[in-house]
Amino acid sequence: MKFRTFKRFAAIAAAAALMGTMSSCGSTGGSSSGSGDSDVIKVGVLFSESGSTALVEKTMTNACIMAFDEINAAGGINGKKIEYIHEDYASDPAKATEKIKKLIEQDEVVATVGCYTSASRQATLSTLKDDNSLLIYPTYTEGEEVHPNVIYVGNMPNQQATDFIPWLLENVGKKVFLVGSDYVFPKTCNKQARALVEMYGGEVVGEEYAPLGHTDFSTIVNKIKDSGAELVYSALIGDSNTAFYKDYQQYGLTAAQVPICSIGVDESNLQAIGNDYSEGHYASMPYWSSLDTEASKAFVDKYNSLFNDGTVVTVLTEAAYDSCYLLKAALEKVDDPYNTDALISAFGGVTFDAPQGTIKVDDQNHCTWVYSRFGQVHDGSVNILYSSESSLRPEPWPSVLYPEYAESNFMPAWDDPLCYPQ
Amino acid sequence: MGTFLSQFVNGLNQASILLIATMGLVIIFGYMNVTNMAHGSMIMLGGVSAYILMEVIGLPFGVAIAGAFIITALIGMLIEKLLIKRLYSKPTETILATYAISIILTEIVRLKYPLSQNVHMPLPGAFKLGSVTIPYYNIFVGIFSIAILVFTLFLFRKTTFGKKLGSVTQNRTMTECLGIKTASVDTLTFGYGAGLAGIAGCVLAPTTGVSYDMGSTYLTDTFMTNVVGGIQSFFGTAVSSVIIGEGRTVMAGFLNETWAKIIIFMIVIVIIRLKPEGLFTKERR
Repeated sequence: MKFRTFKRFAAIAAAAALMGTMSSCGSTGGSSSGSGDSDVIKVGVLFSESGSTALVEKTMTNACIMAFDEINAAGGINGKKIEYIHEDYASDPAKATEKIKKLIEQDEVVATVGCYTSASRQATLSTLKDDNSLLIYPTYTEGEEVHPNVIYVGNMPNQQATDFIPWLLENVGKKVFLVGSDYVFPKTCNKQARALVEMYGGEVVGEEYAPLGHTDFSTIVNKIKDSGAELVYSALIGDSNTAFYKDYQQYGLTAAQVPICSIGVDESNLQAIGNDYSEGHYASMPYWSSLDTEASKAFVDKYNSLFNDGTVVTVLTEAAYDSCYLLKAALEKVDDPYNTDALISAFGGVTFDAPQGTIKVDDQNHCTWVYSRFGQVHDGSVNILYSSESSLRPEPWPSVLYPEYAESNFMPAWDDPLCYPQ
Repeated sequence: MGTFLSQFVNGLNQASILLIATMGLVIIFGYMNVTNMAHGSMIMLGGVSAYILMEVIGLPFGVAIAGAFIITALIGMLIEKLLIKRLYSKPTETILATYAISIILTEIVRLKYPLSQNVHMPLPGAFKLGSVTIPYYNIFVGIFSIAILVFTLFLFRKTTFGKKLGSVTQNRTMTECLGIKTASVDTLTFGYGAGLAGIAGCVLAPTTGVSYDMGSTYLTDTFMTNVVGGIQSFFGTAVSSVIIGEGRTVMAGFLNETWAKIIIFMIVIVIIRLKPEGLFTKERR
């Protein structure tokens, strides 16, 4: 008798524990129904809640929640509601591999919006290929990669540089000094910047890289001074920017004489640098929260009213939001959302009236046509000086460096091993 | 020549930062023989204290320096009381325990401040001399580092506390027999060393900003400076700060940051091979 009670108790406890783990597996939102229900479309959201990049990724998660809730409130997709399942990969690429597997194989999502660093994206690639699933990747990236199972919504370097550099050469100066953090993104971007500067009749007078997290920029600032540069083109990333902008002024260079023209700072970096040191420098991104259009203002206001957690709207917030709506547009074009091949080809040419303006996924190369915008920093926010008239073509392999791919959608053939890390 | 001159002047700034950052280690590692892997986190705590005192509460920089010293010293004394005092003469355990402390401190700060925070520059502007620009703040850091060095030397050589500490390091048992409470001497010394690390963090904060991982950058640099100079020698540490700070900055001016680091490490290896006890060793009686 006693043993039987124990057995029953154990069974209940086991069941409770199982339910506990099931419900703590991920935070689900939208209409929550059983797994066999065909009235919902399941979508994964894969961003970190902890670890070094958590704060940046928090704004991307927020943007996805905002977008999917809006889509559901407006009636969903072909009558079906979206159920989003959020997983945290804790800023750890190895965990990203594990979590995307869980989302695809256990939760059976049709696609996942997610990943922030290039390292985390690349960690998901082989799983995406093996399970034939789809990742919509919102971060701006260095290009020279296209994977058949990824849609790249963030901009390619050419969309930040091709309008920005000629304008700088004409309005600021011809002598350019390139700086960057010492890893693949800045080096790839600066390779392209050098080609553009030379093409438009400028001159690169120096190029320096600092290790990630470097905090003493006195040497680099002195080299900039000695080089006679008229502007600094910067692909420095992250917290190094704080020390760079401060040392820049401390060692006697001013934005009025030699401005820093950055492709690596957003509103959150400007906050950390401080208004005294960011004033007057230039920066380029497809979207700035200071953009003065109805759509943009409504987006920023809604975000700030929904989320009061210390995050600020940046280009990444907007791109994550756009990713969800582009996915919606593609899902509307297919009969069976689980047919990944059909879904991927449905992405070709889909458009969305985003806060930045109308954007479009390229017909062929899986990258997105986004705007080019740059401006000058004033009181810690970017005063936009230029917006391209329409969205710009994405060139994963930029034509200034790889003219051989200009005729083939700026990429090698899909079966070429150069397309993505194998 | 212009490059050399301005890099040489910048190098002095690097040297004074190294000196301030290493001073606490001379005490904790050199005098107390504790391999303190949490030294970087103590520097970081000083930076965070500076951020809270200056930007959140709005106190002036001078108060922030004192505050950073007191806060970090108190935390240091607490750690010594709870943990370190049980581990004297157990070097392996000390390394593990202090490494654990550094992880705990870093993660606590990360929970509260995941993003880098801005601390405003208390002394903006620069002094120009031909092609050389010297920020006023660098001049302050230079003078301040020498002041701390002189004060610490005074404290250790001329005061009763310093004499007690000296006798504890030389012969603990004998000192105890003479009626000196060695345990409280240990706690105070550890606290003073931690406090100096806190001051370093506070002085760094306006130029680098404050983030939870700022300490890790300085952990290797400070141990290296300390070992090259001679672990118990304040004067040696000052000299090795100048050698390493100048060497790195002047070479970075002609090569680049990465190569300068590589060459400095090679030079350090050679120095330690030839003089394992460091450049300046205190003679033991």
